[in-house]
Order: sequence, then C-alpha cells, then structure tokens
Amino acid sequence: MAKPDSIGQFEQLVLTAILTRRDDAYGVSIHSKVEELARPKTVSLGAVYVTLDRLEDKGLVKSWLSDPTPERGGRAKRCYRLEALGERALEESAVTAKRVWDGIAEVWGKEWVKQWSKRWVTE
Amino acid sequence: MGNGMRALVGLFLPPACREEVLGDLHERNATLARFCIDAIRTVPHVIASRIRRTADPQLLLLHAIALYLCYYAATWFEARALLRETWGLARPAIPALLVLLVLLLEDAYAKPGSRSRLQLTRGPLIAFVGVFLAQSLPPKLVLFGGALGLPLTLVLRLFFSPQSTSRQGPV
Repeated sequence: MAKPDSIGQFEQLVLTAILTRRDDAYGVSIHSKVEELARPKTVSLGAVYVTLDRLEDKGLVKSWLSDPTPERGGRAKRCYRLEALGERALEESAVTAKRVWDGIAEVWGKEWVKQWSKRWVTE
Repeated sequence: MGNGMRALVGLFLPPACREEVLGDLHERNATLARFCIDAIRTVPHVIASRIRRTADPQLLLLHAIALYLCYYAATWFEARALLRETWGLARPAIPALLVLLVLLLEDAYAKPGSRSRLQLTRGPLIAFVGVFLAQSLPPKLVLFGGALGLPLTLVLRLFFSPQSTSRQGPV
C-alpha cells in the first residue's frame, strides 16, 4: 500500500472527527466534533471544508452526496469516510502523538502528567 | 426574503459544492441573520478551496507566459514608447493577469462533469472581452494582443484540458 504523506494537526482533528462520526460524517457533524476536539479554540466551518477538500485530494477520505433531507431545506449532504490510506495516516499520527506525550512526561515527570490530565478533563 | 438570500448565497458558491454547503448552512442556522453571517465567513473559504482544486499551476504558468508575450509583442509593435516608461514592462502583465483570473474563476465555477470543446472556449472568450472592456492598455494594443492571445489560449485549453472535474467526489 502507498505510504501516506504526513498530516498536520488540523488534518488529524478532521480525520478523527470522520472516524468517530462513523456513518454520520458530513460537514456540520464533522465541524462540531472538530470543535469539541480542538477546544478551547474555535474552528470555522470554512476551515473544515478546505481541509476536507485537501484530504480528499490526498486520497485519505472519500465523499459522496446522500439523499436530500427536509431539515436541510431539501438539500443533500456530502458524507465522508476514511480510506485505508487515511486510516493509516491517522494511526501514524496517533503513534507520533503518543511518543511526544511520553517524551514530555519523561522530562516533566508523572506529577505533571496527572495535573495536565485533570486540567484537560475539566476544560 | 429568506429564499432570496439563500439563492443569492448559492450564486456565489461554485456548483460543485453548492448543494452541500447551502444544506449545511441551512441546518446550522435557524435565523436568516445567522445564516448570512455564517455564509459571509464560510463562502470565501469554499471558493478559495475550489480554485485550489481546479487550478493547475504548470498550466497557469504556461498561460501567463504566453499571454504576457502576446501583449508585450503587441505593445512592442504598436507603441514601443510605452515599454520605456516607468513600470512599462509591467503594463502588458495587467491584461494577462485579468485573463488568468477569469480562466481561474471559470474553471472553479464550471459544473462537475466533463466539458465539451465548446464549453472550454467560453472562458477565454469571456476573458478577452473583459480585458477589452477593462481598457488596461490602449484599445489598439488590447485588440492586437487579444488577436494573438486568444487563439493561443484556446489551443492551450483544448490540448491541456483543465482538471475542473477530476477531483470532486462522486455525485
């Protein structure tokens, strides 16, 4: 299988959002999940669209138009799912993030890890 | 008024992504005011992304060089003194850039699906009419440059078809 290009932090968030939304991954739902993952930072819908387009061009995700729905004014939604290359890119970025975390924890110690984890949960 | 505003926003959106973006904006925003604010923040990103997806940098560079040389040649033969003025060498670049901008937008706003040869000629024709109306150079130079540039641009577009449709996901 082809090796995926390395992905940026925002692309990681969008790929994670698509993964967690499963069959319901489309513009609005992906954006709300990305906002949840990126908190306390705010995320614009436009930035999500740009990133989705870029990920599709890289072959990491695939999209299709679903049926129209009345709550969307009778308009269809564009749904997304991860391709195998996208799953691999996400795995590799998660492994890298874990290594970074372990490296920081090794220097700053377990007490720091505990405090940071508590802060993370409450934010 | 709500439908009119939504239709207006839809006009700004490239056809390839109009359906889902309008649907998303409708779903997110209960009121017309919020819809408009969200649209103002979102639509420029969508347009920029579509331009990025449809533009071919190498082809654009080829067009830019060809167009600049055409208008430079027109200025050289008809009004050489213009080239010796301050920023004289930059003046033939203005109509060339205008044509490039129209071609970029035309590709971004093309409907998904393969385009016929006739449809591919629309962009250059609109571009050169626009350049003539903009009058960035004296009319004679614009006409002469257009007479050189239009056939060249048409040939480049027909032989190196723009990738307007190649990357959008399945409809």
